[in-house]
Amino acid sequence: MTTDLKRSPNRRPLQMSQLGLHLLIAFLLLLSLIPTVIMINLSFKNGLQYRWERWSLSLPLRGSNYLSAWDVIDAYMINTVLVAMVGLAGVLILSLIGGYVFARMRFPLREPLYYAIIALLMVPWVLSFIPAYMLYNNLGLLNTRWALIIPNVAGGPIFGIFLMRAFITGIPEELYESARCDGAGAWSLIWRITFPLSLPGLATLSVLNFVAEWNSFLWPLVTISDMSKQVISVGLFRLSRTTNDSVDFGSGGPLFAGYVLASIPLVILFIVLGKFYVEGLVESGIKM
Amino acid sequence: MSSAQSTQTDSAPSGRILWRRMRPTTSLSWRAFRRSWQAYALLSPIFALLIVFVYYPPILGLIRAFFRWRPGVPATFVGLDNFVTYFTYAETPHELVNIVKLLVFGLFAGIVMPFIMAELIFFVRSPALKELYRLLVIIPMLVPGIVTVLLWQKLYDPYLGPINDMLRAMGLEQFALNWLGEHRIAIYAIMFVGFPWVWGVGTLIYLGGLGQISESVYEAAALDGCTGVGRVMRIDIPLVLGQVRLLAILAIINAITAFQNILVLTDGGPGFSTMVPGLTMFHSAFRAQKFGYSSAIGLLLFIIAMSGTLIINRGIRPANEELRQ
Repeated sequence: MTTDLKRSPNRRPLQMSQLGLHLLIAFLLLLSLIPTVIMINLSFKNGLQYRWERWSLSLPLRGSNYLSAWDVIDAYMINTVLVAMVGLAGVLILSLIGGYVFARMRFPLREPLYYAIIALLMVPWVLSFIPAYMLYNNLGLLNTRWALIIPNVAGGPIFGIFLMRAFITGIPEELYESARCDGAGAWSLIWRITFPLSLPGLATLSVLNFVAEWNSFLWPLVTISDMSKQVISVGLFRLSRTTNDSVDFGSGGPLFAGYVLASIPLVILFIVLGKFYVEGLVESGIKM
Repeated sequence: MSSAQSTQTDSAPSGRILWRRMRPTTSLSWRAFRRSWQAYALLSPIFALLIVFVYYPPILGLIRAFFRWRPGVPATFVGLDNFVTYFTYAETPHELVNIVKLLVFGLFAGIVMPFIMAELIFFVRSPALKELYRLLVIIPMLVPGIVTVLLWQKLYDPYLGPINDMLRAMGLEQFALNWLGEHRIAIYAIMFVGFPWVWGVGTLIYLGGLGQISESVYEAAALDGCTGVGRVMRIDIPLVLGQVRLLAILAIINAITAFQNILVLTDGGPGFSTMVPGLTMFHSAFRAQKFGYSSAIGLLLFIIAMSGTLIINRGIRPANEELRQ
């Protein structure tokens, strides 16, 4: 105890309280992880095991549940990845261009135009949900993948421009000066200088956007009626409702295996880009 | 592409100085706009998409809230009828009570729990463990939202659900209820989803705020004997009010407009016990084809959420910025 006091420069809580702190954090984390653990455990059980030994680990693990799950949800997974990736590409390009224009170019009405975009962050989706459905209906876009891609490409840059403008403002002006001396135009200033230097910002934006797309549920639920074009959230929702499926999908392990499979793209995303996401949130000191 | 350089207003320093000098008289002149054609050209695809798909729908919704509106039928103006219908509907008071319950709970779960978690992590002394905890709080976010809700539905299952399994194992048979199927309990069961509500994003936002508090503030406080819980109450909370305000606004908008969990878990049932206005909006559009009525409810929710946002914005005033780094 005393040595610890000496080591700490300012007298923060002592060793015992540190231990209590770790236990409390671990306890809260464990509680939040219980559903996930239950999901993984159940994903390896057959129908009988699911009925009679839900709590214990059933050996041998039935890995084949994952194959039967994949057979049912593969189209949903691929659709969602496709729609999310195409949308994300559009969002990144438009946010980079918009962020550059508002951060680095001077032109009349710059600030009013910028605030006209940022103000849209304040419009809750509930006001536009119903009329947007009617708009897509009138444009004949219902039940096409465009109905899933366009809202993201059109709406994603709102926050994207906000984020990228702040990020691009932080790039040293000297870099732009010297590139202009070499005769670079706006297009090459964006692609040769801004793009490589704003990769961390684009990574943060990618995580946010992809997670939002992967989680989108209500909009695809109402706009896509053809299940072969449907996304993973709605697919899993429908499957959880059908219990008389041929592989008893709804009742036993395969359904939970499907839940685990649906989480894998997000796991991969966070392994690759999660660092940017955490740092983006913690270090920006975001507040209102 | 680079041939356009000469017309770009921010291209050369001399050009910018010239533009500044001309600014008082010509900043909004036709010439100034023409010089900046490149900026407008770059922004045009963004604004084209925004106007059609982002600005137009809410404006259309504002107008059509006063219409009878169905697909394939010309809309007819009905004045305030849609609003009158909603407010005279027998279930409306019940829906509003549910929203108040969800709001009170949402503010607790969205503001208090992430703050407790952030403080716990902030008090950790080892930098390596701090970093580890920061990563671990986002693990629940790796499970898609719909999966979390569907999982909780399984947890609540009266016969096969782990919650009732556990209660029976502890000999509390009489408490093993049909959580989502009982009038009185269902709304609370819906709130309980996501327990202990240690929300990764909220926790990280608070950690960002706490990390910006200047070390000298803490040193001064420690000299005055202000440590531990006292420090949290008197220093940390006033200095993260900016974050509190952001999370409060998010929690209010979410509590008032979100109905996805309810749609999945109970669809408003049993009876009407878990109905909320958002779900009525959804049902009246996509089951009853009453899009005008539905837009009116959307407009009401927008007004309520906006008022809540404004109240929070006025009510929570962040402490002095000088105490930050």
